[in-house]
Amino acid sequence: MAKKSVAIDAEELAGRRFEYQEDRSLVEDLDLLELTPGKDLNWLEDIHMLEEDGIPAVFDRYSNSFLRIYFEIPEGREDELARKVLMKHLISGNSYGIQLKEKHCKFHQVELGPWVADSRSVGDNYTAPVLEGWEAPTH
Amino acid sequence: MAGLTKSGVIYDARGLVEPDPEPPMTAEIDGEKAVIDATDLTTRKINLELKRIVYDEGVNEVTIVNPGSKHSLGVGILKRCKITFEGSPGWYACGLIDGPEVQINGRVGWSLAENMMSGSVVVEGPAGSLTGAALRGGDLVIKGNVGARTGIDQKGGTIITLGNAGINTGFMMQRGHQIICGDANDGLGDSMYDGFIYVGGKIASLGVDCVPAEMDDSDHEFINRKFEIYGLGTPPELKKFECGKVLHNYDALEPSERKLVL
Repeated sequence: MAKKSVAIDAEELAGRRFEYQEDRSLVEDLDLLELTPGKDLNWLEDIHMLEEDGIPAVFDRYSNSFLRIYFEIPEGREDELARKVLMKHLISGNSYGIQLKEKHCKFHQVELGPWVADSRSVGDNYTAPVLEGWEAPTH
Repeated sequence: MAGLTKSGVIYDARGLVEPDPEPPMTAEIDGEKAVIDATDLTTRKINLELKRIVYDEGVNEVTIVNPGSKHSLGVGILKRCKITFEGSPGWYACGLIDGPEVQINGRVGWSLAENMMSGSVVVEGPAGSLTGAALRGGDLVIKGNVGARTGIDQKGGTIITLGNAGINTGFMMQRGHQIICGDANDGLGDSMYDGFIYVGGKIASLGVDCVPAEMDDSDHEFINRKFEIYGLGTPPELKKFECGKVLHNYDALEPSERKLVL
């Protein structure tokens, strides 16, 4: 019998935990203004530190999942660090929604989105998945 | 059966789609800048050419001339770049974008920047109904008036309107900000869940569960910053509105229930 999953967090989707969820030093150097369009934080302004199962977490809208944060968060830096962890997750290509692009996106587009300047393109050779043994009904 | 227009452009039997999936290769590229003349191109050809030069040719700054009010121009661009429309696009312009900074030197029809994820869109003229529908993030600046249901189902980002806003603006808004410098028609913020709406002019009527709120320092900082970024001058005196949360009927079990059905 297949195992039924009840978690909706990024670790469950990826099958592993990422280093930047546990080590603050890996995200400290990120320049959020550089990573976002325009002269302020743009879309990141709406990103805040949330909580998932009692653990600090940031919501990744590209995979509809929470990314939990396990390192200690200094008071007053909650939103900043939530945004940095999220951006690290996105520019690393680890967001599950982005990983699905190579196989499933149907149209020509950059793989990693607007956070990486020279991302490769995907979606040029899409073929619809075929279920073995299935044939379209004749009606 | 396909049709042929006077300009020689081929449409499919529905008249909706240019069936040829190849980009026209007509853009004039000069380093990181390019110009696309949309005069004789269908919507699909314009968008194919735009994606080709932005994704594959290293172009970061595109000017589209003669957009001719064609619908659905500049949609689905998922890269940081600058796009200028010299003229007016039609309905559904710049929907589903993630990253571009768009300047529209004209006016636009319905549903500008629907579902925009990030970036900015600045319109020098007015915009139609459903402007910024389901906006997820980024900034949308309309220097004229906007139509009905602007920011319907808005889930983030900021919509700034220098003119007046139509009926049911902010309907079912869930997050983000709207700044309306002029008047707001009936039903402002009707059934909003969250987010903030600031209005400088008269309000015909508030929608269900949209209530006045106190402005604080963070509101002023936010509004002044956005006006400065987009060179909009000094913001007018604004009144703030938010969700009264009388219609909220959630309980603590809801997140658990969501997991149970996965």
